[in-house]
Amino acid sequence: MREYLSWLLVLTLCFLTSDFHVFGHIVPAEKFHPVSESYRRMNFLLSLNPVPWDSVLGDVEVIMDGMAGLDPVEASDYRANVRSVMGALDQAPDRPAGPDERKAAAREIFRICTMTVAEALLVRLSEAEQQLDQYREATRSLEQARQLWQSFEHEVKSTDPAAHRMIGRAWLAMNSALGSPGVLGVGMVKSDVDLFRGEAARVRDYVQSNYGDDFRISYSGGLVPLPANSPTFDASRAVPVKLPPGSNINKQLPRPRQILNMAERGVDEGETTLIALGDMAFDSSMIFGEPARSLMISCNTCHNKSITNPNFTIPGLSAYPGGMDVSNSFFAPHANNGHFDALDIPDLRGIRFTAPYGRNGRFGSLREFVRNVIVNEFNGPEPDPVIMDGIIAYMVEFDFLPNPALDPDGSLNDRASAAARRGEKIFHRSFENMNGRSCADCHIPSSNFLDHKIHNIGSVEGPGPYSRDGAMDTPTLLGIKYTAPYFHDGSLDTLEQVTVWFDREYKLGLSARERDDLTAYVETVGDGIEAYEDTVHTLDAELEEFRFFLSTYEYLKQRGKRDLIGVTFRTIKNEIQAHKWDVQDGQHIPVLNQMAELMEEAWKANEQGEHLLVDDKVEAYRRLYAEHADKLI
Amino acid sequence: MRRYLKTNLMWFWLIGFTLCTVVYAGEEKPPDPLKVVFIAYENPDQLVDDVRPVVAYFKRELGLPVRHFVATDYSGVVEALRNKSADMGFMGPLQYVIAHQQAGAYPILGELYDGKSTYVSRIFVRRDSGIRRPADLQGRTVAFVDPISSSGFLYPLDIFKTRGLVSGEPEDYFKKIYFAGGDEQAIRAVYNGFVDAAGIGQYAERLLRPEERDDVVSIADSRAIPSHCVVVRKDLHRGTVAKLKQMLLELDDDEAGRKLLKYLYNVDGYIPVSHEDYREVEELARLHGFVK
Repeated sequence: MREYLSWLLVLTLCFLTSDFHVFGHIVPAEKFHPVSESYRRMNFLLSLNPVPWDSVLGDVEVIMDGMAGLDPVEASDYRANVRSVMGALDQAPDRPAGPDERKAAAREIFRICTMTVAEALLVRLSEAEQQLDQYREATRSLEQARQLWQSFEHEVKSTDPAAHRMIGRAWLAMNSALGSPGVLGVGMVKSDVDLFRGEAARVRDYVQSNYGDDFRISYSGGLVPLPANSPTFDASRAVPVKLPPGSNINKQLPRPRQILNMAERGVDEGETTLIALGDMAFDSSMIFGEPARSLMISCNTCHNKSITNPNFTIPGLSAYPGGMDVSNSFFAPHANNGHFDALDIPDLRGIRFTAPYGRNGRFGSLREFVRNVIVNEFNGPEPDPVIMDGIIAYMVEFDFLPNPALDPDGSLNDRASAAARRGEKIFHRSFENMNGRSCADCHIPSSNFLDHKIHNIGSVEGPGPYSRDGAMDTPTLLGIKYTAPYFHDGSLDTLEQVTVWFDREYKLGLSARERDDLTAYVETVGDGIEAYEDTVHTLDAELEEFRFFLSTYEYLKQRGKRDLIGVTFRTIKNEIQAHKWDVQDGQHIPVLNQMAELMEEAWKANEQGEHLLVDDKVEAYRRLYAEHADKLI
Repeated sequence: MRRYLKTNLMWFWLIGFTLCTVVYAGEEKPPDPLKVVFIAYENPDQLVDDVRPVVAYFKRELGLPVRHFVATDYSGVVEALRNKSADMGFMGPLQYVIAHQQAGAYPILGELYDGKSTYVSRIFVRRDSGIRRPADLQGRTVAFVDPISSSGFLYPLDIFKTRGLVSGEPEDYFKKIYFAGGDEQAIRAVYNGFVDAAGIGQYAERLLRPEERDDVVSIADSRAIPSHCVVVRKDLHRGTVAKLKQMLLELDDDEAGRKLLKYLYNVDGYIPVSHEDYREVEELARLHGFVK
């Protein structure tokens, strides 16, 4: 019990500083030994193109430091081998390494580090074996060895399940063989040396033969430590995709307030079929391809509640939390542009007003932009026109936060501070060094602070001298207070830094007070009322949303869109499964299981063309939800 | 008569003085400082820092200097209570009854979780295992947490005993018994199919990741286990004990106090307890030879 509570305590303490209690949907990160964590992340990074070598070397250091604490001589040899590989890669600094050189270097570093981790595990195991008369020390060494086993466990479990069970039992048996010191000797159990040694030998043999000197690299969608030398290894079994340690795809808490135009006008989404369909698709990983689908990543993961997700991080793909390189080799290798160009996740509020789309404005229409996200950023199949209609219908409902300090023409009113109103004048001032233009010339207040154009303001570093690769779409300033960091690449943390940047780059000659006033103005324009929801409870709102999703069933049936019906059922089921543990009273979980089961049965019946049965299952789901809706919070 | 009275008064005075001395010897002065031992399961250094707000609260409310330290096992806690290097500690029920016998320590407060002062152990199996009741586990493998654990051994084993399934040595009933070393290791052993069942505290299921939890299911609950308790050493100044009880009981009265409870193993609050509440644990411990 205490172990669970201790885990809960850690989670709680993480959020105590935020001054609210957590009931929202937060999935804690998997726990790893630091060496295993670095090793698993490094494997992910080495499998990317381009390889983020600096990050790789950071993880290599952690692995080597872990080994150095156990065997400095071995660690020194391994380090020298890594240096040699990196030295060969850097021999021609005037040209980037070619694909073959890069892959060879990645494979070699992966091989060296795999052997290092295996060696560290074996050293820890030997330590435990030698400490059997010292319970506490032996327990610690055994636990360290077991944690290091996690470096390989996911792959062994997937491709060599018999060995996975054998090794799993060996850890249990070794722990039992340690005995127990009891409490002040009461209940003491002596260690069983023979049993421990026998089980340790099993683990040692397996680790040595698969990850020792004879380690064989097999490609399986990336550099992963497959136990290819095990007689029970099954190469045909897939390794389920996982994000590397350090990733965070949890949504933010408190939750941002989503403003849907139709809902603000009192319309029930259950009566707006196309919008509800788009809402479902926006929340569904089923419209994407692998690996996003298995990872349950949807539009809503990054653009949570139509805003941004400042937590979103995937090592190697994100330069910072809240950004990602969307043309990468992991999610859609076919559309990888081969260079790292992480972007800040854009806010989608008011998107119907903000064309063109994409940070560099490369798409004139929202439909083109969304199709590209589905097909070329997240590897999805060509979307059905009906689902595209739905997504667009839904997205054009996203509205800006209401801002009482702004008049309809975008000018400040009396509710704004004196500093902000002084800043407004500076915002409209013509600057000689901006070719006589003002800030307001691009961020036109009466046009939602947009000019719908693309400008090169000097914030982008091009590939070389005289490059024209630097123009970006003018972003709106509405809601900007809640979407830090700033610029296309999130390179500036605060609006104050943005003001300072413009003053410095364009030699505007602003005084300190003028900079403060200008910042105050932008903050006022970018503000809004009730930016966040006042509750962190999410389940009831999610379930109500599923009611909207299912309201599309009759329309889709009428149009003969059986595949989209299937997507809807699967999306609802997956979302219930993901959220059901958020329920505040655990006794309601069986009802949620039943709802998920009904959606699965409806999906199966739909696949088999048993349409009357599908009707029955949908009806049963609706009845069950109506019966329990008020309790499912 | 006067001589008789004088002699008797002298005796009266002597007996009174002796009684006062005895009482005084059993009831010490307030401790200076009050020494509190916390038990750490993972990162002792982190825990030392995490509980500082609680220690500050103790100082403020008691008007006493307070020193705190962390023990990494219960032997350390019991030993500290016995040799007076700690005045107060936090313990599991089985560890408490051992501490009571070994050091005369006694419980003052029980912890409340979800409004309850008890919890249960459960027998978890894989949902797809076909195992539906404890009797199905004869000749199968089972993982417990630790031989010195209430929720991770005594009580889950008691599930089999009360059903008449295990009467002698548990090794004769099961094919193999493992001690996994922790709740998470035990529940993961079931999830991964290393063992057929695990006997663990009811909350262990939550140590699995959300997407993993549907694969395990509980097939039986144990008797109610009294929750972990706040224990004081036997001679601790009664006035200090009363103040400790009062200030811990008051913690759930307001938001600031509830925030401190999060640091105290995330409990909801406390309830007054006595040794009587742990009689059943003591009986089970006696059956296993942990106490006389």
